[in-house]
Amino acid sequence: MSKKLTRRDFIKITAGATVATGLAPAARRVVIEPFVDPPEETLPGQATWYASTCRQCPAGCGIVVRTINGRAKKIEGNPLHPLNQGKLCARGQAGLQVLYNPDRLRNAVRQSGGRGSRKYEPLYWTEALDLLKEKVASLSHPGRLAFLGGLMPDHVYQLTDRLLAALGAAPAVIYDLHSTLEGRGPAQQLSQAFFGTGDLPVYDLAQSDAVFSFGANLFETWMSPVAQSVAFGSMRQGALSGRGFIVQFEPRLSATGASADEWVPVRPGAEGFVALAIGRIIVEERLGHVGSHRDHAVLYQNVDVGEMSAASEVPVDTLRRLAKAFADADRAMAIPGGYLAGQQNGFASMLAVQALNLVVAQIGRQGGVFLSTPAPTVALRNKPRVNPFSDVLNLINRMNAGEVDLLIIHGTNPVYELPAATGFAEAITRVPYVISFSPFVDETAVWADLILPDHTYLESWGYQVPSPGTDRPVISGQQPVVRPLYDTRSTAQVLIDLAARLGGSAAEAIPWAGEETYLQEMITGLYGSSLGAFDARTSAGFWTLWRQYGGWWSEKEIRREPEITDIVQKPLPMSAPQYFGDPEEYPFHLHLYSSIALTDGRGANQPWLQETPDPMTTVQWGMWVELNPQTAESLGVGDDDIVLVESPYSALEVSVVIYPGIRPDVVAIPIGQGHQDYGRFAQAVTGSNPLGLLAPVTDPDADSLAWGATRVRLLPTGRKKKLARLESLDGQGRESIG
Amino acid sequence: MAKDANQSVEGSIRWALVVDLDRCTGCQACVVACHAENNMQIVGEKEAAYGRWTHWIIIHRYWEGEYPNVKARFMPVMCQQCTEAPCEPVCPVFATYHNEEGLNAQIYNRCIGTRFCGNACPYKVRVYNWFRPEFPEPLAEQLNPDVSIRTRGIIEKCTFCIQRIRRTEIDARAEGRSPADGEIQPACVQTCPTSALLFGDLNDPDSRVSQLAHSHRSFRLLPELGTDPGVIYLKGGEVNV
Repeated sequence: MSKKLTRRDFIKITAGATVATGLAPAARRVVIEPFVDPPEETLPGQATWYASTCRQCPAGCGIVVRTINGRAKKIEGNPLHPLNQGKLCARGQAGLQVLYNPDRLRNAVRQSGGRGSRKYEPLYWTEALDLLKEKVASLSHPGRLAFLGGLMPDHVYQLTDRLLAALGAAPAVIYDLHSTLEGRGPAQQLSQAFFGTGDLPVYDLAQSDAVFSFGANLFETWMSPVAQSVAFGSMRQGALSGRGFIVQFEPRLSATGASADEWVPVRPGAEGFVALAIGRIIVEERLGHVGSHRDHAVLYQNVDVGEMSAASEVPVDTLRRLAKAFADADRAMAIPGGYLAGQQNGFASMLAVQALNLVVAQIGRQGGVFLSTPAPTVALRNKPRVNPFSDVLNLINRMNAGEVDLLIIHGTNPVYELPAATGFAEAITRVPYVISFSPFVDETAVWADLILPDHTYLESWGYQVPSPGTDRPVISGQQPVVRPLYDTRSTAQVLIDLAARLGGSAAEAIPWAGEETYLQEMITGLYGSSLGAFDARTSAGFWTLWRQYGGWWSEKEIRREPEITDIVQKPLPMSAPQYFGDPEEYPFHLHLYSSIALTDGRGANQPWLQETPDPMTTVQWGMWVELNPQTAESLGVGDDDIVLVESPYSALEVSVVIYPGIRPDVVAIPIGQGHQDYGRFAQAVTGSNPLGLLAPVTDPDADSLAWGATRVRLLPTGRKKKLARLESLDGQGRESIG
Repeated sequence: MAKDANQSVEGSIRWALVVDLDRCTGCQACVVACHAENNMQIVGEKEAAYGRWTHWIIIHRYWEGEYPNVKARFMPVMCQQCTEAPCEPVCPVFATYHNEEGLNAQIYNRCIGTRFCGNACPYKVRVYNWFRPEFPEPLAEQLNPDVSIRTRGIIEKCTFCIQRIRRTEIDARAEGRSPADGEIQPACVQTCPTSALLFGDLNDPDSRVSQLAHSHRSFRLLPELGTDPGVIYLKGGEVNV
């Protein structure tokens, strides 16, 4: 299909705006245009760098993209950005393969052979928008419209919010697997419970000298891994006060645990007990240097250290030693990580861990916990809050009951990302019309009637308020670094066009003519702020600098000390872990974890990430189950042997990796593989989505999916499948030296 | 480039990379950054299982001890840019040679694929292209125009991103100065989130790499072989608890 210069693109180019104006590859083959009038900012062979924001995860790191002749060639961290300080993780580096992915949708499509047929028919955008408008306008009641969102860019979320409110429809339901695995929802609630705000706290790793991480994979995928890694570097070797240490509490030694100084293999779900015991010992034995612990005694009045030790299977001596080390450190800090949130007692555990920061008086202190200051960014902070899991289940029930006539999906892939046992895959077939904004045909888009592919992030406008933030107010700005490769359209623009077509209250709620005008208006509140790292005389100048810097941030560090709520005046809740599945029949805990390269499966369509070895097992491409050597021996299986992993809900076959760093009663499977759709690279790996094994149980306190609470059993199959490991198992390979 | 064979070819600069194992978290950012910068091919699951991958950096993971007192340690290993490089004398066509800045350079279009250098390398960091690289459209757009694409039958390895060294040198020269210490950053160094990797001139006594090279934590891989590597490792810290 030939690529035409759209009106919007034309305006962008002639206005000499920011778009890298080389001809997109699709155009190159059709339009032969001499370089008589070379695009501004482009010299053949000379690189131009554009500042923007990474969207491979919600952290909001600043990037600069090297473009040559209008093509993006390399992504690097934005050295000026206060969050990631020029650094980027593996996923951020691989972003070009989202842009240049061969399996991208190249235009709006309608599924012509019916849903699930995977037969598509291209649509002109005018037709597609008319269809979208007709579907929205013809709803018998706005309540029959449901919007399911995931990692939406903040500005798209704001537009969606306005539009849905104007239509009288229910707000978007936000669910995605990444947020679930990092426990974003429960973390927001924890912050609410402790500090009376939904803002996520910042854990000041850089200046801490003793970090107790309870299931937080700080340097992999949790919250803001690059910022945390930068801080880790200074904590280890950069600080003037010497080298800080980390203790990691989790049932499976993660890559973060490998970087810690000590790993404590706690019984799954008993991490909170360890925190309670440590707190109790500190208070009871008056350890440390913060003076009186009288105020904290009430927190631990019901805690018995011996019981906690037995329940967590961590010896009392170890607890005492750790308590002493924690209390004696100058700037100790405990971090309630995402793994805790995956248990049915997750919220209680998170409370117990956060309380440790209180006991050592590290809330609002250097090397402790603080909040980021919103300053002039308040207006932009209407961020998508992760919905309680019951909202998701409710939506599924409504879909099943035929109460939803139109389902719109953006930034999430629920068919893959929800446990199969929730029945989403079936519920979606009951919805008369489904629209997806996915740039790729993923497992959910296959069930959409209409796909209106969004631009990929390197072609998009937007902004992102990093959450958790950093030591100063920051907004990451996003701008296109290349002209859109294909005839895709940004979802923000689609929503604006939709509002205009609908007219009435929708058009009033979204009065902007285009995405850029909208963005410019959104950020005007920042113009003129005395805090900014740059100063502009006019708002047009501000817009230019905003794009050059890749956002706005304060020049100076401004931390906010949290105000502690009255939660500290009553005993901490104690809640025993519960697991789904009979322990006799299903003897192992299933520990799913997000892959460092593929995260929640989003990275599976990027060959660079697929070929990246997993740091702990060195497996490339494949999928595996990790067994303690003792467990493997008792089952009579070895490396590469295929076992059947069976839960009360489902079963899957997967190759074994013998893993010394895991409890014998736990088996671990990485999340990310097992795609049925989502492009050639994702589908190249055989395997089943491990989420199929999960029971749809929740933590009632936080109302979040307890994805770590299912038990499984293993059955050897007698077959083998060799995993593509960097490490050779005979010790003769290239991975070992000497 | 090489001068008289009787003289040392080393000039006033000796590029070196410091790898601080106390900071490395094994996160693989350097590995992907290296792929993005240097146009390596992707081989897929089946061939990767045969060991035909093309990573220029591999992060070794060593297990220590047994459960529950088990530890895992990471060590990123890339071409060590040896001064006395075992790979150089074995090349029958002089495709691999030593340059004036202490780099083992590889001339791809001289390479005839004997793989002698790969055999000779004690660090096992040279990779061979078993296949013609394929970049399904439009993935070829990602290719870095500063780096040639290697076809089947060619050996390749880490170059310390020589194209980035040159780019920074040229940009600095245009401004009438020499590159500052730390200004030249190979792709891995640029991205490393924990700053475990550091690049600079070992012959400049004031550079950070030469200062860290004198640290009590510094060591080199397989020193007994006398290869005099240009990659300097810093030992990880002890447990403080």
